[in-house]
Amino acid sequence: MKNSTLVAFAAILAIALFIAGCITPSPPAENRVSLIQARGTGPMPTLLGTGQIDAYIAWQPTPEVAPLAGIGKVLLYSGDLPPEGKWKNHPCCVLSARQDTIAEQPDLVNAISALTILSTRYVTEHPDESAEIVADWLAGKGNFTYGNVSVSSVDVLKQAFPTVKFVNEPTGPWINGNIEFVHALRELGVLTGSLANTTDEETIAILFDTGPYYQAKAMIESGTIITPPSSGKEIGIGYLNSDHDAALFVAVKNWQYFNDNYGIALKPVDRTTSKPEKAELIVNGQKIANVRLVPGDAGPQLMQLASTNAIQMAYVGNPPVIAAADKGTPIKIVLAINTEGSGVVVSKESPATDWKSFVDWAKARSAAGKPLVIAAPGKGSIQDVMIRYSLEESDLSIIEE
Amino acid sequence: MTLTIRNITKDFLVPGDQSICALSEITFSVADEEFVSVLGPSGCGKTTLLRIIAGLEYATSGSIEINGEIISGRSPRMAMIFQEYSLYPWRTVRDNVTFGLEVGGMHKSQAREVAQTYLHLVGLDDFADRYPHELSGGMRQRVTVARALAIKPQILLMDEPFGALDAQTRNRLQEELLEIWEKTKKTIIFVTHSVDEAVYLADRLIVLTSRPARVCEVIPIHLARPRDRTGQEFARVRRQVLDLIAQPKCSLQ
Amino acid sequence: MRSPVPLLLPVLLIVGWEVAAHFIDNPFILPSLTTVIPILLHPFSDKFTLGTGSLVDNAAVSLFRVALGFALAALIAIPLGIGMGRSALLNNILDATIELLRPIPPLAWVPLALAWFKIGLVSIVFIILIGAFFPILLNTIDGVKSIKRTWVEVALTLGARESDILGKVILHGAAPTIWTGLRVGFGISWMCVVAAEWLPGTTRGLGYLILYAYNFGQTNVIIAGMVIIGIIGIVIDQVFKAGERRWFSWRALER
Repeated sequence: MKNSTLVAFAAILAIALFIAGCITPSPPAENRVSLIQARGTGPMPTLLGTGQIDAYIAWQPTPEVAPLAGIGKVLLYSGDLPPEGKWKNHPCCVLSARQDTIAEQPDLVNAISALTILSTRYVTEHPDESAEIVADWLAGKGNFTYGNVSVSSVDVLKQAFPTVKFVNEPTGPWINGNIEFVHALRELGVLTGSLANTTDEETIAILFDTGPYYQAKAMIESGTIITPPSSGKEIGIGYLNSDHDAALFVAVKNWQYFNDNYGIALKPVDRTTSKPEKAELIVNGQKIANVRLVPGDAGPQLMQLASTNAIQMAYVGNPPVIAAADKGTPIKIVLAINTEGSGVVVSKESPATDWKSFVDWAKARSAAGKPLVIAAPGKGSIQDVMIRYSLEESDLSIIEE
Repeated sequence: MTLTIRNITKDFLVPGDQSICALSEITFSVADEEFVSVLGPSGCGKTTLLRIIAGLEYATSGSIEINGEIISGRSPRMAMIFQEYSLYPWRTVRDNVTFGLEVGGMHKSQAREVAQTYLHLVGLDDFADRYPHELSGGMRQRVTVARALAIKPQILLMDEPFGALDAQTRNRLQEELLEIWEKTKKTIIFVTHSVDEAVYLADRLIVLTSRPARVCEVIPIHLARPRDRTGQEFARVRRQVLDLIAQPKCSLQ
Repeated sequence: MRSPVPLLLPVLLIVGWEVAAHFIDNPFILPSLTTVIPILLHPFSDKFTLGTGSLVDNAAVSLFRVALGFALAALIAIPLGIGMGRSALLNNILDATIELLRPIPPLAWVPLALAWFKIGLVSIVFIILIGAFFPILLNTIDGVKSIKRTWVEVALTLGARESDILGKVILHGAAPTIWTGLRVGFGISWMCVVAAEWLPGTTRGLGYLILYAYNFGQTNVIIAGMVIIGIIGIVIDQVFKAGERRWFSWRALER
């Protein structure tokens, strides 16, 4: 072919492709919102304050930060997301443990479960004191600075506490709530392994081992914690830097109380630091094991550590456990540590005051060609699942970033 | 003590530039306290020969003998003086001189005392604590001589030691070298490409051709010392040497 | 530093920052330095650092980890580098492998480090070791190769054995280049401390502080952490430079 013929051919091809691109039908412009995934909740207030997002959904205390820092308002708490009543008491964080740890060291797992239950009870009975303990653990009781505004971490936590429900019992409805998450994660395409096609009964068998909860409950009622055999090995317990893990923080900081009243304690080795890394599990006066408290950035990271047996138990959200179990990690959900405890925040200038007006706002912005940008803390997280459901339920279609 | 170089041959298996350094059946002897100069064109034949004697390289065949005993590799009875870059810049002048003594196991403080005497011999007592970079080229070569003498060798092997210096310094150092030689009574093999230098310094000239290097002439120099570079006698001997070198058998390829 | 010129730009930047912050007037885009300065002015207080301990405590922890990783890297890299510089055979055997591993950034080793060394000091120190290792190794090889052949031959003719040559010639001759390798290596391992301390299993350190502050959106703490990291980096680099002036000035003068 001559050069000029080649060039003409290429030009015609290019024009044809261009026209094809232009006449490909695009999705309807109405009712669209943009959903982006932030890495955790940390960047969210900054994103809202700089106008890069219009709203976010996050676990406490990040929602409470917005009104206190003057950058936004809490639209509603997660339990109130539509449809009405669906998300009440939705599952959130759990205590999980490796299957082999439960099998080989049942008394130890029962003891930790019992301490968690006792500590959760304490948190519900002493919310202000517990909020302070959480503020100490997370921020050394210092201030949070957002922009020019400084707020006391103690105030933030105290304001956040009432919105978190600290409960442990793996009730029927609670287990069903978890199953609903499994369905939602399947729809998102996150589950491709052992949980991809299971029936609900099979899912429950794979995911849960609530034996330790009931044994712990029985021990508490009988008044004696069974002393586990001393373990030479160090036990790793993972946790997240969130007030959802209040039970753990209170158990460690108030170890003396639990030791004196119930004969079980997680006694921190260094009692001067805000975030102890090492503790000793003491039951009925005997040291049972050295415990390493391992903070994680996010649930999936903790599950990764659990899969290599670097940690044996973890306080995490349920989606990471579900995803890990799906991949074959021998991890089980033992009991709940909280339900609800998340919130939706909108910018200061937003006209929304409740979900209905929020939807109206979204539609108006979409029609104006500037769809709302909403941030969730990670694909497949509880917050992500809930907001997607609620948005779609309200006839809004999601543009993924 | 007699040093005998017997049939030293060095082949280079890899063809190319290296064959310039080849040696062929080099044989000569050096008597005790003799000052011998190995004279040859610029190139590496004579340096290769010296390095073989010093034990830094190996000959393909032939041997080096002292009093009939074959020596292989380095001998403690010899010390070598290089043309340049041989002083250790991180050591003071004195500590450069002590190097060979330290290696021989002498204690540092004792070695320093010994070094001082040799620095005195070469006239550098006051520079003992200086570093090589503070010294001129001529002074550095004096340090090199002191360092070699410190280990009390019987034979000094000198590879064009004054080649990098200017004419004035070179002449002065040649005179100083003769003084030291007379005082210390060493045997010296002095490699050079300068006929003037060889005639001024040596008792005998071993003249080498190149590619491969062979001994083409052995010329005794019958001039009394101290020799006068500008004198007639000197010029006559020089003329003689140049004529001998100009012969076909010594012709340089 | 004798002249004030090097300080000019930093001062200008600080002033420029404050002016820009005032004009932009959005503290999330450009936070005013008034939120960062108090943290820096109280380095011994633990009230400003979200319960991770004081800035000084965190700096000490990070320095300890980096020093450990750096020392281990030097302990392995220097002898290996001397071996590779002296022995063409060893160089040939190892060279391709080293060139393959060298471009991999230390951060990329994090998942493997976690899998091999579990949680704790070892995995953190490993990342730092990787960071320091290659500059030290390559500079050591280079330093050994740049040693003048005459220096070694002088030693041989004076009766030195291999151990003498190694201790009295090679180490001294290569020392300036090795020192440069150590300086560069330390700089890189100090940079790695942020990545290394993002490994789980620690609640202290400047790198950890930055990550933790990020998770809580505390930009002022992040900036304070960055400033401290920068200052320590400069100070240590100056220490290396001073060592070079004191011990190795002969190298420059040799030319």
